[in-house]
Amino acid sequence: MKKNKTISILFFLLLVMMPLDFYLIFKVAPTERIMGDVQRIFYLHVSLASGAFLAFTCTFISSIIFLWKKNLVWDSAASASAETGLLFATLVLITGSLWARPIWNVWWTWDPRLLTVLILWFIYVGYFLFRGGIADRFKKAQYSAVIGIIGYIDIPVIRYATKWWKSIHPLLTREGGGLNPVMKNVMFFSLATFLVLTVFLFFFRFRLARIEERLQKLKKLTED
Amino acid sequence: MKFAGSAIAILKKDILLELRGKESLSLMLFLSLLLLVIFNFALDTGKENVSSLASGILWVVFTFSGILGMGRTSMAERDEDAYLSILFSPASAESFYIGKVLSNLLFLVIMEIFTLLFFAILYDFEKIISMLPQLLPGLLLGTLGFSLVGTLFSFLTTASRYGEVLLPFLYLPVVVPIILGGVSSMDIILNGKAGGAGKWIQIMAVFDVLYFAVSLLLFRYIIEE
Repeated sequence: MKKNKTISILFFLLLVMMPLDFYLIFKVAPTERIMGDVQRIFYLHVSLASGAFLAFTCTFISSIIFLWKKNLVWDSAASASAETGLLFATLVLITGSLWARPIWNVWWTWDPRLLTVLILWFIYVGYFLFRGGIADRFKKAQYSAVIGIIGYIDIPVIRYATKWWKSIHPLLTREGGGLNPVMKNVMFFSLATFLVLTVFLFFFRFRLARIEERLQKLKKLTED
Repeated sequence: MKFAGSAIAILKKDILLELRGKESLSLMLFLSLLLLVIFNFALDTGKENVSSLASGILWVVFTFSGILGMGRTSMAERDEDAYLSILFSPASAESFYIGKVLSNLLFLVIMEIFTLLFFAILYDFEKIISMLPQLLPGLLLGTLGFSLVGTLFSFLTTASRYGEVLLPFLYLPVVVPIILGGVSSMDIILNGKAGGAGKWIQIMAVFDVLYFAVSLLLFRYIIEE
């Protein structure tokens, strides 16, 4: 497999963007008046969450195309993006928890948003547990596409259900959106950086999956 | 009409299998009973607490006994590829799905009636039986949701090397809205809480419609070889 141009371009882009992003977050963005430095997690947290969302959407779309076209390339795309999404979702939960401890005084709270991400996380962990248990390559692709579609469709319903569930209980105070312009720009840059990272990880993982596939094929050929 | 005919034939087949083998329903009922006993130790179920704990205990029992039962019935289809002979028959994948949903629904309802009865006896809470008419919409929509998702996922997981053990990992996160709706609506009705059970019934109905449509579209991909 020849060297992939997209991956190299994205890699060099990240080599510039990532350090710059951290510089902006820690040096340029002003310290938040009430929360202090802890608030800086927010730039990572929101960017990671957007990356996860992008990745899971890609899983959803790839799963649909797989069922339609029955081409294993789409399954590799679905699993590569689900892996990226799961990694990001894990980091979203961790960064959120780190932020919540000093601000809300708890590591975890049963807020609808938190609960939705946690359930989303469970669904995609299940997705990989399931994939690990099926040997047949085509069946694995076909069945996990079904999970990729259903898990994604379930998200809005979970969101509404948890929102209603919590609305009976006292609501958590949520900070308003009045971001300072510098903060806003840092936020946007961070968002862009992490979206590039998502795409990079996706392509990287996707390429690896394709290589693995070719290796399996070659192994089979030599066995026969 | 042919569609409904084959679905009902599959339902009949499952009832017959259950009457002969007594494989899944009896296990479900025993698990329900066991769970009810265990909750009695785990929670303080004194007279003044029962009412507020009832909905939580009951829906946890419904959920886990349901998983056990639906896993069993799908395993029975996968054993020796029994379901393949159904696929060779003129019955469509969709009617197969609906037949299985109906049979799972039937077993779940029987298990729930049993659980409610034993709950009333063991926890000295007859109110749950007398309030059954009000609780019925929530119970039925919730059980239908369990069956719609459970039928699809139990078929998926039995294809895996790990078998039905994997079912809870896929099934539980997805049915969270149903569990939430079931517990909340029952709690509101039993304890006369404000907020209204209506919106929970609504969310369960939306979930059921969504899952019915999606599963009907996707089920053929799970069984086709």
